[in-house]
Amino acid sequence: MMKKIAAAVLTMALLLSAATGCNSFTGNSAEPASQAGSGAAKPTSVSFYLENEIPTLNQFAASDNIAFTVLNNISEGLYRLDMNDEPQPALAESCKVSDDKLTYTFTLRDGLKFSNGDAITSKVFRETWLEQMKADAKNGYAFILTDYIVNGQEYSEKKVGADQVGIETPDDKTLVVKLKAPTPYFLSLTTFVPYYAVDMSFYQKQGASYALGKDNLVYSGPYMVTQFDAASGVTLVKNPNYWDKDNVKVDTVNIKIIKEQSTALNLYKAGQLSRVKLSATDVPSYKSSKEFTTHTIFRTNFIQFNTTAEGTKNLNIRKALSMAVDNNTLVNTILNNGSEAANGVVPKSMSSGIAGKTFGSLQGTLMSYNAEKAKEYWKKGVEELGGQVPQMTLVLDDDTENKDVGTYLQSQFKSVLGIDVNLDSKTKEARRSLMKTGKYQMGLNAWGADYDDPMTYLQIWTENTNSFRGNFKDTEAADAYVKLIEEAHAERDTAKRADLLVQAEKSLVVDNAVVAPLYYIGSAYLVKPNVKNLVEPDSGILELKYTEVD
Amino acid sequence: MQNMEVTKDLFGPAEADAEEREKISRPTRSGFQDGWIRLKQNKGSVVALAILLVLVALAFAGPAVARYDYYTTDYGAIFQAPGPAHWFGTDKFGRDEWSRVWYGTRISLLIAVVAAGLDLLVGVTYGSVSALLGGRVDAVMQRIVEVLIGIPNLIIVILLMMVMPAGIGTLIIAMSISGWVNMARLVRAEILKLKNQEFVLAARLLGTSNREIIMKHLIPNTVGVIVINTMFTIPSAIFTEAFLSFIGIGLQEPKASLGVLINSGFQVINSHAYLLFVPAVVIVLIMVCFSILGDGLRDAFDPQMRI
Amino acid sequence: MKKYILKRIVYLFVTLLVIMTATFFLMHSLPGTPFDEDKISSLSPAQQQQIYASYGLDQPVYIQYFKYLGNVFQGDFGTSTLYSGQPVKSILASRIVPSALVGIQAVLVGLAVGLVLGVVAAYKHNTPLDYLTMIVSVLGISVPNFVVAALLQYLFGLKWGLLPVAYWESYASSVLPSLALSFGVVAQIARFVRTEMLTVLQQDYILMAKAKGLSPAKILMRHALRNSMLPVLTILGAITVNVLTGSLAVESIYSVPGIGSLFVDTIKANDYSTILGLTVFYSAFYVVVILIIDVLYCVIDPRIRLAPAKE
Repeated sequence: MMKKIAAAVLTMALLLSAATGCNSFTGNSAEPASQAGSGAAKPTSVSFYLENEIPTLNQFAASDNIAFTVLNNISEGLYRLDMNDEPQPALAESCKVSDDKLTYTFTLRDGLKFSNGDAITSKVFRETWLEQMKADAKNGYAFILTDYIVNGQEYSEKKVGADQVGIETPDDKTLVVKLKAPTPYFLSLTTFVPYYAVDMSFYQKQGASYALGKDNLVYSGPYMVTQFDAASGVTLVKNPNYWDKDNVKVDTVNIKIIKEQSTALNLYKAGQLSRVKLSATDVPSYKSSKEFTTHTIFRTNFIQFNTTAEGTKNLNIRKALSMAVDNNTLVNTILNNGSEAANGVVPKSMSSGIAGKTFGSLQGTLMSYNAEKAKEYWKKGVEELGGQVPQMTLVLDDDTENKDVGTYLQSQFKSVLGIDVNLDSKTKEARRSLMKTGKYQMGLNAWGADYDDPMTYLQIWTENTNSFRGNFKDTEAADAYVKLIEEAHAERDTAKRADLLVQAEKSLVVDNAVVAPLYYIGSAYLVKPNVKNLVEPDSGILELKYTEVD
Repeated sequence: MQNMEVTKDLFGPAEADAEEREKISRPTRSGFQDGWIRLKQNKGSVVALAILLVLVALAFAGPAVARYDYYTTDYGAIFQAPGPAHWFGTDKFGRDEWSRVWYGTRISLLIAVVAAGLDLLVGVTYGSVSALLGGRVDAVMQRIVEVLIGIPNLIIVILLMMVMPAGIGTLIIAMSISGWVNMARLVRAEILKLKNQEFVLAARLLGTSNREIIMKHLIPNTVGVIVINTMFTIPSAIFTEAFLSFIGIGLQEPKASLGVLINSGFQVINSHAYLLFVPAVVIVLIMVCFSILGDGLRDAFDPQMRI
Repeated sequence: MKKYILKRIVYLFVTLLVIMTATFFLMHSLPGTPFDEDKISSLSPAQQQQIYASYGLDQPVYIQYFKYLGNVFQGDFGTSTLYSGQPVKSILASRIVPSALVGIQAVLVGLAVGLVLGVVAAYKHNTPLDYLTMIVSVLGISVPNFVVAALLQYLFGLKWGLLPVAYWESYASSVLPSLALSFGVVAQIARFVRTEMLTVLQQDYILMAKAKGLSPAKILMRHALRNSMLPVLTILGAITVNVLTGSLAVESIYSVPGIGSLFVDTIKANDYSTILGLTVFYSAFYVVVILIIDVLYCVIDPRIRLAPAKE
């Protein structure tokens, strides 16, 4: 009797699981990646992966690079970055800037349509931007519009109506944007996903189901989504309604979710991926391969000091700690993945605002490893503190890269200054929370650029409630820094502005040692030789439009 | 022998002292002594115990013997394969793996002892009380267990981490919240089976207290299950600690346990497999010894195995 | 018995309520918010206030708690903040399926192989076969399952190309993950069966059965096995819950879109609704499994009485 029951239960369990299980399979995409087309007949495809689940495809809720990577290729904005990281006209055909640099007049192309046939007009842009500027936009990106557009902030705080905001649509093809202050990087801003066009009538109709599945989205970009599962990935196919569809060469893009680096490498070796990121320990074995390449993005990892905490409140102590770090050994030995030693907070290749000149060429040398000087500063600092060396603790995130950096720093501080620094690794939220409330001495933090201009970094240290400030406020030095940034905001002359920014960075890193930049985050990749023009802009958001497969 | 006639007068009543009659000719041994002697007879267990003692000795003496300590870095000598300079090689920071492995063994053994102790002290007691008293007490105790399991452990651990400094102590507290539950459930099941048997009834009739019934009668009969489960709790605890240390609660760099070493070793399995291999072998060795020892313990102490 | 089961179902709801309440309040004590703090802090306080309000987070925790409770009774478990806008129920439903399939297969395979190994080992106590089983068992639990998973992936996936390396594309994708998970199950089941059966085989009634002339197979299957099942059943409950609810490491390695990583991800992201949904789901599942096991105790071993006997 029992045997019969057992047998019945077992069979049922197996059948049930197989039946329901079958529905969840995503179907075969195991054709070799990067298939070439012979002539024009055979469809081409590439396969990539993301390192974590896709949190959302709702532009108003997206705030991380994974969501942006997908959105960047299924939507489009006024301008798009080309293969050299320069903004080029996309949905907009041209743009006229007024002499006072405060008014941008965009002219859209003819016949623009979403994938469902709805027309893309200037009104679409206006309504999308208004929606993003609303304060309860879930991604917290309202600032990327309200910081620049006239009355944006006031509209967000519900102090004025939508008609007061500096966006006008005299006709369907013309979009007039009024800025609060001259912004040399405004065109670069329009290449960022929160500025892209969303079909607002579709959005209103969908309501709560917007972007939950592939049928709840319409597309304005080079690709459309044919399969979407947040935990497995997306499948993209060419968008037939895209204005530039003839220049999109690859027919299908498979983007899967692969969390484990070794799995990705195995899949690449099996021919199922077009590109794979290499871990630090795999780099030596593949460095000499033709498929090897590295890339740094605009994201800086640095030590943030708390300028009012025990120990780190002393300037000499901070200078000592900054100088004790050998960035080069860090990137070459520990990270070994294409990351570059940082000179300042602002990446070297970031634009300075002056045409043709990078910020790095004006920066000067800010960070340098000098063990002797570090020891001197440390001695001075300890004297000033009354001879007592306080226990130092470094808070950091609990992921592997941060922990490795932390261990390296710990060993450096020990060998150069002879002190024992405690490492305190916490979850990201816990660390942010600690830093926000000022309960730390030093913390490992990172910031990625939102647009191609030093201001995206330097203004962080003027904002009040974030985990980056390090309590650098209400002192003469801090006020001077804020003044520099404010002046730069209002300065119309690009050369003078760049100079102000250079001064500000020097004040932050050298004179006041508020932060100690460590490295610009990079990655090492293997790319299949038949995949060309795969662009990864400095933002780290993958650009698929120009990809070609031989 | 010569043929003797056996007549009645050759026999007389035997002198039987009342005391002598009751005398037990074998020396009295407590249950523990008895089991210990039987354990020593089991060759396999003795060997296993010996190996374990060697490992424990290495765990404490190993780092002292080495020329390097477990935390000094050497960026000129990272990822060296095992060789004369570093017997077990070096890790990604150039730290000596020999020292790190034995230091880690120390910590893992500590965790193993704590986990096993919790299991034995809390789990066995909880399970046996719950089963023996039965009825409403059993219902309430089991509901408490369900609540303890139901509340996500990770949340409690993160909260602990906010309040207490990261380290072994916090780790132990985190693991003791629900680490003993399986043992409690197992012991409860066994005792539910045993408590209605005749020998328990007999003990009750003789007036044995609940405590004595549990200690002298019920638990010895559950020794087999207890030993086996303890054997499983140990690696489970070691890997739970590794997971927690990995997400930042528990051991901070440069400290490491075997579990943490295995996790880090796994990251570089394609290029430097020895970093995974060495701590894994140590854990397997420890587990094999515990396992053989555990079996021997059960063979020795389980009253039903005495034939 | 029916009355007992009904009573237990009532207890189930009470337990779930306690767990939900405790988790709710503990969860809200976690540091951080559901939002990307680095971005939110670029907004003015007035703007930040609006975002919190739109999620109801500006109200005192106990009010949020009652609101949540009210919604749950109407079957509404809310929407996720991490997967913006996705209803919690649909996230759970879609992510549970792959984990369940892999898990059920792992348990079934593990149970079958484990039982066989355990029985044989007990029957041939102290022979090489017994030692072999012991070694398999020790390896099964001391070698972490991600090492086994990686090895299987390399051999069967990459080197020999027999099975998919990763992804969740067809039934074949579930084979390697299930196999990797089943090792641990085999190890535990084999050990418990062996231990219990060693005791059972010493019993008088086994001797009697042998004397009666029953074949070893019959003795093992009809008499010995059933009496050894008690701890196996208990451990099966724990194993089932662990394995069915997804193994983080194995699912990561095979890129299975399962539920394993969901707990850690949502707790780290302060995604309150999903955390609660998961907690309710896991707890309900665990409690039901315990109930089933408790009932099975009585079925398997008539000497066990859970409800107090009539005095």
